[in-house]
Parts: sequence; C-alpha cells; structure tokens
Amino acid sequence: MAGVIRCGCMSITQSVVKAEDLDLSFAKTLEQLGIERVLTCMQCGTCTASCPSGRYAAYRTRLVLRKVLLGLREEILSDPDLWLCTTCYNCQERCPRRIDVVDLIIVLRNMAFATGHARERHVQISRFFVETGHLVPINEENMKKRRELGLSEKPPTTHSFPKALEEVKALASYFGFDKIVLGER
Amino acid sequence: MSKSGGEEPRIGVFVCHCGTNIAGVVDVKEVAEYAKTLPNVVYATDYVYMCSDPGQELIKQAIKEHNLNRIVVAACSPRLHELTFRRTVSEAGLNPFLFEQANIREQNSWVHMDNPEEATRKAKDLVRMAVAKARLLEPLEPKEVPVEPAVLVIGGGIAGIQASLDLANKGIRVYLVEKEPSIGGNMIRLDKTFPTLDCSACILTPKMVDVSRHPNITLYAYSEVVEVDGYIGNFDVKILKKPRYVREDRCTGCGKCAEVCPVTVPNEFDLGLGPRKAIYIPFPQAVPAVYTIDMDHCIKCGLCVKACGELEAIDFDQKPEEVNVKVGTIIVATGFELFDARQKPEYGYGIYQNVITSLQFERLVNASGPTGGQIVRPSDGKPPKSVAILLCVGSRDQKALPYCSRICCMYSLKHAHQIKEKIPDAEVYILYMDIRSFGKGYEEFYNRVQHEGVKLIRGRASEIWEDPETKNLIVRAEDTFLGKPVELEVEMVILATGVIPNPATEPIRKALFITQSPDGFLLEAHPKLNPMSTTVDGIYLAGMCQGPKDIPDTVAQASAAASAASIPILQGKIVIEPIVANVDENLCGGCGICESVCPYGAVTVEEVGGKRKARVNEAKCKGCGSCGAACPSGAITVLHFKDDQILAQVDALLTG
Repeated sequence: MAGVIRCGCMSITQSVVKAEDLDLSFAKTLEQLGIERVLTCMQCGTCTASCPSGRYAAYRTRLVLRKVLLGLREEILSDPDLWLCTTCYNCQERCPRRIDVVDLIIVLRNMAFATGHARERHVQISRFFVETGHLVPINEENMKKRRELGLSEKPPTTHSFPKALEEVKALASYFGFDKIVLGER
Repeated sequence: MSKSGGEEPRIGVFVCHCGTNIAGVVDVKEVAEYAKTLPNVVYATDYVYMCSDPGQELIKQAIKEHNLNRIVVAACSPRLHELTFRRTVSEAGLNPFLFEQANIREQNSWVHMDNPEEATRKAKDLVRMAVAKARLLEPLEPKEVPVEPAVLVIGGGIAGIQASLDLANKGIRVYLVEKEPSIGGNMIRLDKTFPTLDCSACILTPKMVDVSRHPNITLYAYSEVVEVDGYIGNFDVKILKKPRYVREDRCTGCGKCAEVCPVTVPNEFDLGLGPRKAIYIPFPQAVPAVYTIDMDHCIKCGLCVKACGELEAIDFDQKPEEVNVKVGTIIVATGFELFDARQKPEYGYGIYQNVITSLQFERLVNASGPTGGQIVRPSDGKPPKSVAILLCVGSRDQKALPYCSRICCMYSLKHAHQIKEKIPDAEVYILYMDIRSFGKGYEEFYNRVQHEGVKLIRGRASEIWEDPETKNLIVRAEDTFLGKPVELEVEMVILATGVIPNPATEPIRKALFITQSPDGFLLEAHPKLNPMSTTVDGIYLAGMCQGPKDIPDTVAQASAAASAASIPILQGKIVIEPIVANVDENLCGGCGICESVCPYGAVTVEEVGGKRKARVNEAKCKGCGSCGAACPSGAITVLHFKDDQILAQVDALLTG
C-alpha cells in the first residue's frame, strides 16, 4: 500500500495521510473474523491507560485500534509494538464499547505472521516447533537434569516418539505453517 | 345521514403517487387499472398526492358521481393519513369507517426500490386485500365520555412543580403527589445551575412556595400513588399518605423538636455527607415546612413532645391515611437517580474516602449544605489543592448505561469553575471523551472555564488507586492527544456519574400501563412530534423520567405536558375510537384469559346474571386484538378487524 505514515519523517508530502492510503475494508475484514464491535471504537484511551505493558514500553493499544479503523494495514502489521501485548485482558475488561481488544490483537498477530512480519525470535522458536515438536527443545543440560532425577533422558513427547513428530510436521504442512516459518531462512 | 353498510358494495380505489415516493417504483397506473377488474370496484384512478386538497376533492367527487359506498386509498401508512381520509369520506356523507387504507409506501415502494416489477405486483396484492376487506366493512359510531376537570401530577421535582403551576394557573384543579417529605426533587439539592450560575434554590423556592399557596393545588407530600384505575377523562386514584408522626395542621416548622432530639443519623438529602436528627426536615426551605419522624431511628424518648409543648403537633400513633381522588388526566414526573458508581470498581467509590459523586459535590459546595459551602475533602476536612473530575462514569458505556446522560459535561465544567472560584490555587483536571456543550450559552461557558485554567485531558480514566498515607488518589488515563498514559496525583476525585430512571417509577409505570424504552426511561408516544405523551391516552410525561435532560429542557417539557394534559379537560369530553373489542356473551365462558393478556387493563371478567362474562371498558381498549386472538371460544372480536374481514384479506392474498 502506498504512502505509509511515519512520524518525524523529513518530507512534508509524505506525512500527509491521503484517502488512497486508507483501506476502510480492513476493519470490516476484522469484523468478519469475529471482532464484531471493532468499528464502534471511540478512541477514549481506556485501553492504553489500562495496559500494564504500556506503562513500561511504547505500546499504545488505542493507536492499534485507530490504525485498524483507518486501514493502515502495513503499518500495523509491521509494527514491532504489536508483540508487546501480554494478553492480560485489562483493556478488554474495561472497554466501554465492549470491543474484544485482546482477541483483535491476536488476530492481527496471526495476520502479521502470515504476511512475513513475524519477529525473528518468534520465527526461531516456531522453527524449533516444526523441526522438533517443541518450542523449547530439550538440550544436554536438561537431559542431564532428568537423568539425575531418575527420569528417562527424554520426555514422553515427540522427543521420544518420532512418529508423533511426523504428525506435528504433517499438521504444520497442512496449515502452511512450515512454509511461513522455514521459508524465512 | 351516514350510509349504512347494508347495501351492495360500490367500491372506489384511489392510488396515490406520493410524488415519486410510490410512483418512482410502483406502476401506479397499472395498479389502478388492475383495481377496476376486482369485484365490486366501480371506480379506480391514480393521483399525484391523494392527501392534498385536490386529491381529497377527487375522492369526494367520485363518491357523488359514482354513488360509491366504500373507499380504498392505496398510499402511505394509515398511521399518517387514516384520519385525513376518514374525514374526507365523512365529508362526502359516508360513515368514516367505510374506508380502508392499503400501505404501498412504507411496506412496499420504500423497501423494494430495486425491484419495481415485483413491487407493482405486491401493490396489486395489497389493493386486492384492501378491497376484499372493504366489501365487509361496517359503519361504526364513535362515543363521547365526559372528562373529570382535574389532573394528577406524580413527582414534585422541578418538572412536577412547573406542570402543576401551569395547570393551576389555567384554573384546573391539581393533585400533586411527592413521596419525599418535601417537594423540590433533585434540583433543590444543587448549588448553582449552568451556564448562568443562578443559585438553584433561589430560582426554585419561589415556585415551591407558589405550589404550597396556590388555591388550585392540593399537595400530598410524603405520599405515594398506590393504585390507578379508569381511563382518560375518568381516572380513580388511590393515594397513600405515609405517617409523619407530626400533624401537618399543627406543626409550624419551628424546629424546637429537632434541637432536643438525641438521635443523629446521616441525612439522605445530603447523600450521607451531613447529619440530621430522627425528627427532621430535609432542608431549611422544605415545602411543606413540616417535621417528620424517622421511626426506624426514633427511640420514643418523648423529648420532642415536651419541646413542642402546647402545639401538640407530635402524634406517635399517626396511621397511614388513604385518599381517593378523581382526575381526567395524569402527568408522570418521577425524575431520576444517579448511577451507582460502585458498579465501576476500578474508580474506588465507596472504598477510597476522597472519591465522591457529582451530587455529593453539589451538597459540599452548597451554602445550605453540611459544610456551609466549604469545599473540603472527606478524609481530613481540608480544602483540596488538586481535584480530578471524571466524566462518563457509567454513561456511554456498553457495560453500564449505553446512553449519554446529557448533563454531566456541563455540570462538571461548572464544578471546575466553582473549585477555581473557592480555591483559586487548586489544580482542576477534567478527564473527558467529548465535551458536549450543545445548549444556549453552553459552548461559551466551556470557553470561559478553559480560560480560567482548568486542565482538560482528552481520555477516559482507566483506574484510580489511593496512597494509603496521604489518602491522595492517583488517576490513570491516556492523554489521547499526546498519545501517552498519564498518572495524576490529586487530593480529591469527583465522579460525574450518569443518570438512571428513578426506581420508584417502576410500580407507577405498571399501575398506569405505560411503557418504557430499552434504556429504562418511560417511552414517549412519538420521539419527535409527541415527546410529552405516552401511548396511553390521558397520561403525559415531564422531565427526566422520559430521558436525561437539563433544567431548561425539563421545564419546557413540563409546560408542554401541562398544556397537553389540559386539552381534554378544556374540551370537557373526549371521543373514543370505536375500534374496540366486542364480547359475544352467548359464547363467552368466563375463563379470563382475555383479562390476563390485555396490556391496557381494559378487559375484566365480571358476574352477569350469576355467570362470569368478559366485559370490555371501551374507553381503555386500544383495539389491539390480544384478547380476540387469545379467546378460546371465539367470543371476542375487534370491531373493524373482525375475523371474517381479516380472513377475507387472507383469502384475497392467496387466491389472487
């Protein structure tokens, strides 16, 4: 999409949001994905002010909603702040418009992931998942701990059952998850 | 002079274009031509505006020239022009009920704009059905009933006071019923009124005194309406006078009793901020200026009896007293209550001492209030050097009140002004989503308050917490213009709580068979053209009971309601629509299902010659047909909507 707005940019013309920059169907799409009341946001800021993450970081929930309403799709999906939400649900609990704010953020994260906007760390652990069936696969250190505790060296998961790992891989492939994750390499 | 329905039907059909509203979609000429082919139709035509004078003249001429005895107009909804056309046919010498209207606009051309062919077909169907019913129409005669020349006003706030005075000044008898010991309502609690800053009590107390002195007003304070029976023109009202344990005819309001009373409790009038005695008047200017004993707290020590002395006004044995009055019309003016701020626990009302509501602030800043008008915070009685005012507490909230309470923006700006006036070095913050300053002089007042240095922060507060040491409060919000969260430490917080209908309205609403809108406020007959009437004839609305409004709007509506309530009384009689339920006593088994389904209390089962039979009060009946549909023996029919008339319409639809 053309003309993404950036704060503090040098060019005057670039900082103007034009009608063609706005994709008003974006909010409608989200509505169809289950965030039924997203269009009713009145930008009161209760979400931002309720956000424990926003207290320590630059995350501004209200701005995510604003950009959703305007349809600044690329800007939302590429924004690293999207990943700062801890999904504590404070904002959703207090929103006076009954908008499912956290559910919205999860939908946006899925979209970001599917369109190649995932953070490198997220991609990394996702790769572990596709390759080993674990977000955090076992390592030498943990195997040693297990032996000391009298447990089997590997837990009764994909680590012990290669057939189960095949099933995980089949699922990842079925949903195209492996392409998104491994394609980044 | 009216022609009866006995002769062979000669039906005229008139198809209206309504400019392009109908003709832009429906082929009106084709519909008129089609109508000519229907049985008993001897004349059919179309015209651009049937409701216009030439349009009505066309109908009258056709009645004469073609000797028509039934008329069908295919046009808009009968809600709009049924009365117009009934009058037209009546002027041409026909009984006005030998008229039928087919709605081919609201239920056709407006909703099938994209499909003109089908819309034309549907218009033909609707005309065919109307003709089928017209064939079976019967002449009906409206009835007249006399009107009792008196009005009951329920609620003695500014709305009830204004309505009572207007009616009384027209020479109409008024019974004003107020459940509290004094009239004055919520307005008498306020200090100043926006945007002019008039002293609320100074402008209201003269009206209260007028009420108490007016020869046409009978005031029943500390009383409740417990039963209403009857219909427009003839309502029987039962009023219960609660015992004050003080005789109204003897008490002079001197207050010696309260001086000696040893029992002190929080005064509800001051919302718990100040004390009162067990024998009390709620505030000094109370009307009537009569003391009341709160028997829940009185210890019957008898000190007040001694202090009262020879007046002997105190009577511990007083009993509730029932009063019956007859009135022609009723005005409901039962007002509002504040939303309970405890329902928003994130703001800490009822937990943190220095979080108060806007109405409590009114009592604090009021010269006749518990602090003599000093603004102090509850925890230590010191004037706060910083105050945050939170707007929309409960209002505009899908999890509480979905509506805007309409008064909070303006009274909060006024509160900010009052704090700045009394504590000039205080910092005042208003946290808001939108400032709605829509009335005359309101935007100018907003401008003035901004100029006084009040800090407006555009953001809805998310939470408040207390510093347990200082009892100061930290308010968290986002300054949405800055795009940053803000945390404000202040010494006091005022919650601009929204308004809800007074809970005492509900039993009155049920007794009067009037309806409410989804927000709980009473429903008006029409939101634009009849905002002061209800759907029940003879019952009118004034003030906050109908929806949030400020004092000017309340007074305007109260005067409008008084005017509307006086019309039937000045006319002296009312005409009752003859479209009512009719009982065939030979078929009625007296089961009483009709009585239980009637939403207007118009059907009752009574003993007739030793047998139980349904009786219809024609003045109360609205012809809704609920009873007729529910009657298991088919004994009840609704005139003008008889079974054979409706079945003929259904047959016409299915056999066209």
